[in-house]
Amino acid sequence: MPRSLWNGTIAFGMVRVPVKLYSATESKAVSFRERHSSDGAAIEHRRICAKEDREVPYSETVKGFEVSSGSYVTLSKEEIAAADGPGARMIEIEHFAGREEIDPVYYDRAYHLGPGKFGDRPYRLLHAALERSDRVGIGRFVFHNKAHLAALRATDEVIALHTMRFADELLSPGDLDIPAPQRKPSKPEVAAARSLVEQLSSSFEPHTYEDTYRDALLKLIERKAQGEAITAPEAEQITPADDLLGALQASLEQRSALEQRSAH
Amino acid sequence: MPRPLWTGSISFGLVNVPVTLYSAERDRDIHFQLLHAPDCSPIETRRVCAQEERPVPWAEIARGYELEDGRWVLLSDEDLQAAAPRQSRTIDIERFVELKEIDPVYFDRSYLLVPADEGAARAYALLSETMRDSGKAALGRFVLRAKERLVGIRVREGALTLTTMLFHDEVRSTKEIAAEIDAAEPTREEVECAVAVIEELGVDFDPESYRDEHRAHLQRIIKRKQQGKKIPVPATPAREPVTSAPDLMGALEQSLARIRAKTAEKKPTKPTAQKDGARPSSRSRRESRQPTPRA
Repeated sequence: MPRSLWNGTIAFGMVRVPVKLYSATESKAVSFRERHSSDGAAIEHRRICAKEDREVPYSETVKGFEVSSGSYVTLSKEEIAAADGPGARMIEIEHFAGREEIDPVYYDRAYHLGPGKFGDRPYRLLHAALERSDRVGIGRFVFHNKAHLAALRATDEVIALHTMRFADELLSPGDLDIPAPQRKPSKPEVAAARSLVEQLSSSFEPHTYEDTYRDALLKLIERKAQGEAITAPEAEQITPADDLLGALQASLEQRSALEQRSAH
Repeated sequence: MPRPLWTGSISFGLVNVPVTLYSAERDRDIHFQLLHAPDCSPIETRRVCAQEERPVPWAEIARGYELEDGRWVLLSDEDLQAAAPRQSRTIDIERFVELKEIDPVYFDRSYLLVPADEGAARAYALLSETMRDSGKAALGRFVLRAKERLVGIRVREGALTLTTMLFHDEVRSTKEIAAEIDAAEPTREEVECAVAVIEELGVDFDPESYRDEHRAHLQRIIKRKQQGKKIPVPATPAREPVTSAPDLMGALEQSLARIRAKTAEKKPTKPTAQKDGARPSSRSRRESRQPTPRA
């Protein structure tokens, strides 16, 4: 059994669901440590008091919020935690929304929930009801002294919790300068682009995507360990798309040629 | 204007759309600085070479990978680039899928794509309009900060929005958690009543209506402290008693009655009309909250 990260209660109307939180993801990225390039030695991070220029133990430190340049208000751990409020161990479901209404841009981290003590029956009930209604519960979740909007949804077997970003934590396309085209795409261009989208359409099969970079990186590390010199390939040139229609038609022809070949 | 993170092009068949990438996230967190308690001066983190006992500038830091035999291999930025399967100034669209088919567990971080220049605007408009009309999301790969990523791109508020995705082996199985669930299947009556509660609380997702009150609360605490006032540290609330045999049906029926009474009370004010009024429904719910077992 994985270790739970948090214990709390979901309030679903008057129903209380004691739950435990588990991480739903684990990074498989190749991770590195900082080393000194000249002698390969380990790099240590030390806390230095800027004024006295000496190392200080963690016990002598305090958290400060800079109110004006160089001037801090200090807060104890308890004072920072006071912002959590009394409901910090409770996720109250405020609303239920359709899953498809939530754009991926809102999703932050994913967790799995399991039942907490005496939580098995209400947990199964909430899971069944979420599954049946095809809706996602929206509530708030305070974790590590930060509040998140949270989405609760039924997966095949368990309830998943996604922390979500608040709307003001996101950049809207309106905040960026997106140049409008001088000439709108022509009808034949739109038709050709549509056909290409159709040709490339399929269902999403996560298992068909492997992290090939991870493997390539591990192989490269092996080569380097044997003393081989590594050279990066030249950067490729990108040709701008002046003749959109020509490029689209060529893509369509290339695709159908590929398909014919694989059909034989 | 925010700072661009990357410039390259989307390759869609043989069409290249030059684009600039921006983070879609804005940091609104309240950040604290670590201070030395006696003199309130900032603490700096200094990188020190463990062997030479001397501070090391950033330029002399390499990425180290530990081999099984304990030896370390040091890698430079160029080495990492060499591992990228293609020399990546492109986001290669491989497939188009229905967005709803992608389990949200795969979504990681989001970015906005903008035409790199005016010349790119037409190709950008063609791709984004085609994708908007098809309602599909593009799946592709690209390399950002020397790491290849799987990405999903779709149109959001008129702009191509890119979300990096996890690989399937980075998603944990739910088997172990599911195996521990020790309860009989809920009765049909219970499920129907629970679904009725869900329907009563059903809304169109309106992200603007949720504000981060925790952040605002923390700001008030900082202000009070600055004024020299004491911060009341709330006692840990007593946990609601949880029983081994909760009356689920009773709790569901009570919830339904309560929500329906509230909706009836609220009807004349037409809650959905006031969009900028910051969470009309949840606020009125809070004000009219009756004593719950928690209080």
